[in-house]
Amino acid sequence: MSRRFFYSRLALSNLRKNSRIYAPYIFACSVSVMMLYIMLFLLFSPGLHEMDSTSLITVMGLGCIVIGFFSTGLLWYTNSFLIKRRKKEIGLFNILGMEKRHIARLMATETVFTALLSIISGLLLGILFSKLALLALLRLAGLQTQFGFSVPLPAVLITLLFFFVEFLFILLTNIGRVHLARPIELLYGGSVGEREPRASWLLTLLGVLTLGAGYAMALSVRSPLRALELFFIAVMLVIIGTYCLFTSGSIAMLKAMRRNKKYYYRTDHFTAVSGMIYRMKQNAAGLASICILSTMVLVMLSTTVCLYFGIDDALRAQFPRNIGVTGINMTAEQAHELERRLNEAVEESGIETEGVVSYRYAYFSYSGTQSDSTIYLIPPEEYERMGGEPVTLAENEVLVYSPDEDFRESTVTLRGTELRVAGVLDSLNVAESESTSTRVSLNGMPLRYLIMREDTIMRIYPETNDLDYYYGVDVPTSREAQRELHVMLSLTAGEYSQELPSGVFARTRCAEDARGYFIQMYGGLFFLGIFLSLLFISATAMIMYYKQISEGYDDKVRFEIMQKVGMSRAEVRKTIRSQVLIVFFLPLLAAAVHVAAAFNMISRLMAVLDLVNLPLFIICTLATLALFGVLYAAVYALTARAYYRIVE
Amino acid sequence: MSLLEVKNLKKIYTTRFGAQQVQALSNVSFSVDAGEYVAIMGESGSGKTTLLNIVAALDKPTSGDVLLDGRSIVSIGEKEISAFRRDNLGFVFQDFNLLDTFSVTDNIFLPLVLAGKSYDEMRRRMEPIVQTLRITDILSKFPYEISGGQKQRTAVARALITDPRLILADEPTGALDSRATDELLDIFSRINADGHTILLVTHSLKAASRAGRVLFLRDGEVFHQLYRGDLSNDEMYARISDTLTMLMAGGRK
Repeated sequence: MSRRFFYSRLALSNLRKNSRIYAPYIFACSVSVMMLYIMLFLLFSPGLHEMDSTSLITVMGLGCIVIGFFSTGLLWYTNSFLIKRRKKEIGLFNILGMEKRHIARLMATETVFTALLSIISGLLLGILFSKLALLALLRLAGLQTQFGFSVPLPAVLITLLFFFVEFLFILLTNIGRVHLARPIELLYGGSVGEREPRASWLLTLLGVLTLGAGYAMALSVRSPLRALELFFIAVMLVIIGTYCLFTSGSIAMLKAMRRNKKYYYRTDHFTAVSGMIYRMKQNAAGLASICILSTMVLVMLSTTVCLYFGIDDALRAQFPRNIGVTGINMTAEQAHELERRLNEAVEESGIETEGVVSYRYAYFSYSGTQSDSTIYLIPPEEYERMGGEPVTLAENEVLVYSPDEDFRESTVTLRGTELRVAGVLDSLNVAESESTSTRVSLNGMPLRYLIMREDTIMRIYPETNDLDYYYGVDVPTSREAQRELHVMLSLTAGEYSQELPSGVFARTRCAEDARGYFIQMYGGLFFLGIFLSLLFISATAMIMYYKQISEGYDDKVRFEIMQKVGMSRAEVRKTIRSQVLIVFFLPLLAAAVHVAAAFNMISRLMAVLDLVNLPLFIICTLATLALFGVLYAAVYALTARAYYRIVE
Repeated sequence: MSLLEVKNLKKIYTTRFGAQQVQALSNVSFSVDAGEYVAIMGESGSGKTTLLNIVAALDKPTSGDVLLDGRSIVSIGEKEISAFRRDNLGFVFQDFNLLDTFSVTDNIFLPLVLAGKSYDEMRRRMEPIVQTLRITDILSKFPYEISGGQKQRTAVARALITDPRLILADEPTGALDSRATDELLDIFSRINADGHTILLVTHSLKAASRAGRVLFLRDGEVFHQLYRGDLSNDEMYARISDTLTMLMAGGRK
C-alpha cells in the first residue's frame, strides 16, 4: 500500500464501514445543499427579475435565510450524533498508536470526502430540480412560464461558500472534541454508565409557566394587530416551554407512574416506563425538536394553503364590491350627479350587475378607551338610502354598528365630544354580501360604523370640507365583463372629475386587477410553505432515524438480558412497540395541541392578510394535520424498521 | 429420580456456508440430584458454555436430551420456553446482566413481573432473600451506583426470587475481586444448604472447590468426575488441582 494514499483509503473504508450512520448524514447534507441552491436559483433566476415581482423576490430571500439557519442546525445535530457513535473507533486508533494529529488528518480526509460527495450530489440534484421548482413557483404565482434553462453562477458560488464554511466549522469542532478527550474516555465513550435523569421541578415549573403564558396569549388575543405584536413572543414561549416540559416534565410524569406500584409492576408497563425514563434524557431534546418542527410545518402549510385558496376572500375584503368608485370631498349634489352618470354608464354597457350600494361617509382612525379602531361616519339620510329604517337623530345622538365586538356602551366619545348611543344596529348594508369585509378593516383594526348627523360630523371634525362618497357594484357574470365595466366606469369617473374643482375627484378600483398581485404574493408564500415543509419533514425524518438507531444499539443489550431472564420474543417485541410508539407519537400529539392552541391567534393574524374565512382555515388546518400525520407515520414505519433490524 | 438428566448430548456448530463443522459437545451424559451443588470445569473451548446454554434452553442440541424433573426441555415449544425458563431456572452470569434502566429492586422483581405476580407478593418474596444476601440497603440504587460484588448479589437475588428448581451459574466469580468472590461463594454454599440445586460452570479452582461434585469437560466430553465426600474445601482444592494438571498433561483416566 503506498503511503501517500493511506489516509484517503482509511477514510474511505471508515465511511463504508459506518455507512449505516453516514449515509443519512450525507443525504441530509446533500438535501440541504439542494434546497439552498434551489432557493438561491429562484432568487437569482432572470425570469423572476424580468417579471419585476418584488413580492416574490422578498419571499424567496426570506426562504434563503431560513434554509441557511436551518441547515446549520441540522448538520450540527447529525454530526454530534456521528461523533458520539464513533468515539470508540477513534479511541481505538489512538490506542493503536495514531497520534492526535494523525487522527485530525484522518478526520479531515473523511470530512473532505463527505463534503465533496454531498455538495456535488446536492448541487447536481439542485440543478436538476431547479427548473421544476421554478415552474411550480410560476404556476402557483400565476405568472407566465418561460422556457430555457439556466445555472446562475452567484447561486452556485454562494452555495459552495456557505457549505464550505459549514463543513470547515464542523471539522474544527470535531477535532477539538477529540483533542480534549483521553483515549480511554474515547474508548468507553459510547457506554458510560449513565445516571438516571432527575426531574427538575424548577425546569418543569418554568416549562408549565412559559407554555401556559404562550397558550394564554394565543388563546386570548382578539385584535389582529395585537396578535401580530404577540406572535413571536408566544412562539418563543411555547418553544421554551416545549423543551422544558419534554426534558423535565416528561420525566416527572414517568416517575409518578413509577411510584404507582400497582400500575408500574405490570408486564406491559414495567419495562416500557423504566425504559422511557432512561431514554427520555437523551431523547427529550430530539423529541422537542421534532415537536417544534412538526408544529412549524403544520402552521406554515395550513396558513399558506389557506391563504392561497382564500384569495377570493382576501379580494372581497379589500374590495367590498367588484368595482368601487370613490369620490373624494364631494358635496351631496356632486355625489348624486356622479351616481346618476355611473348608473347611466352601467345601463349603457348592458353588463349584468348586482348589489349596487352607494353612500356618503367620513372615515377616521380613532383611539378608543380600550382599543384602536377605524370608524366610518355616515349621515342618517345616507343610511336610509342604503336600505336602513328612516331615523331621526338629535344633534348629539348616534346609531352604532360594530361588527367586531359586542357593543354595550351607552356613549361614544369622539375627540372629547360625548355622543349618546341612540341604538345599536345588528346589520348594515355596507358591503356585507359575503359578510367578510365588514368584520375587520384593512389594517386589522376593529371596525365601527356610526350613523350621525352631517352637521355633527362637521362640528367634531371641522377640517373636513365635504364627505367622501362610495359607489360599489358587483359583476356576477364573468371576469372579462368586470374588467370591461371597470374601464367604462373609470372613463365616466375621469370625465366627471375634469368638471369638478381641484381637490374634488373620483377614482375607481377593480378587484380583478388586483388579483394578479394577490396570486403572486400568496402563491409565492404557498410555494415557500411547501418547500420549507419538505425541508423540515426531511429533517424530522433524519432526527427520527438517528434516534431509532442509537436507541437500537442501546436496547439490543437490554432485550438480550430480558430474554435470558425469561421474557419471550413476543413480549419483547410488544414492549418495544409500545415504548417506541409512545415516544414517537408524543411529539406529533404535542404538535397537534400546539396547533390547536395557536389556532385563534393565527386566524386573527390571517385577518391582517385579509383572510377571515374561518371554515376554510379550519378545513386547511385539519387537512394539513391529516396529511402530515400520514407522512409522519410513514417516516416512523421506515425508521422503525432500522431499529428492529438492530435489536433483533 | 434425579432432578436434571443430561443424556448423550451432542452439539455441532456449522459455519454459515456449511463448509466447516465444529463439534462443541460430542457425547455428554450426567445427572444432578435435587439439592446437589455441581461444578463443571474445563478449559476454554471445552464446551462448558454450550452445555450450559442447552441446559438453560437457550440453545438446542444436535442430538441427545435434557430432562428436568423427567420432562424434556429440548422439546418445549418456542412459546412456552420463556415461561418455563422463568419458572424453573435461575441464572447468574459472569457479567451480571443487570438492566441499567432498573433499580436494584426492579431488577430483582423482573422475572416476577414477567410472571404477572402482584406487588405485595413480590415484596414478600424479596424480603428474606435480600436479608440473606445483605443487599437491603442498596435496594433503591441503580446498577451503576453499586460495586461488582453487590451487582452479582443482586443477580443472585433475581435468580432466587422465582424459587427455581435449578440455579445455573456461568462463571459468576469471573468479574469479581477475591473478597467479593469469597462472599459470593459463601452465599452459594448457604443457598445450597437451604436446599437449592446449583449447577456452576467455572474456570476457577476456588469456586469449584466449594461444590459437592466437580465434572471435568474436555473436547466436548465428560472426562472425569470428583466427589467431595468428606473432604474439606482445601483438600478438595488440592484434588481438583491435581486433576487439572493431569488434564493439561493430556493424560488418560
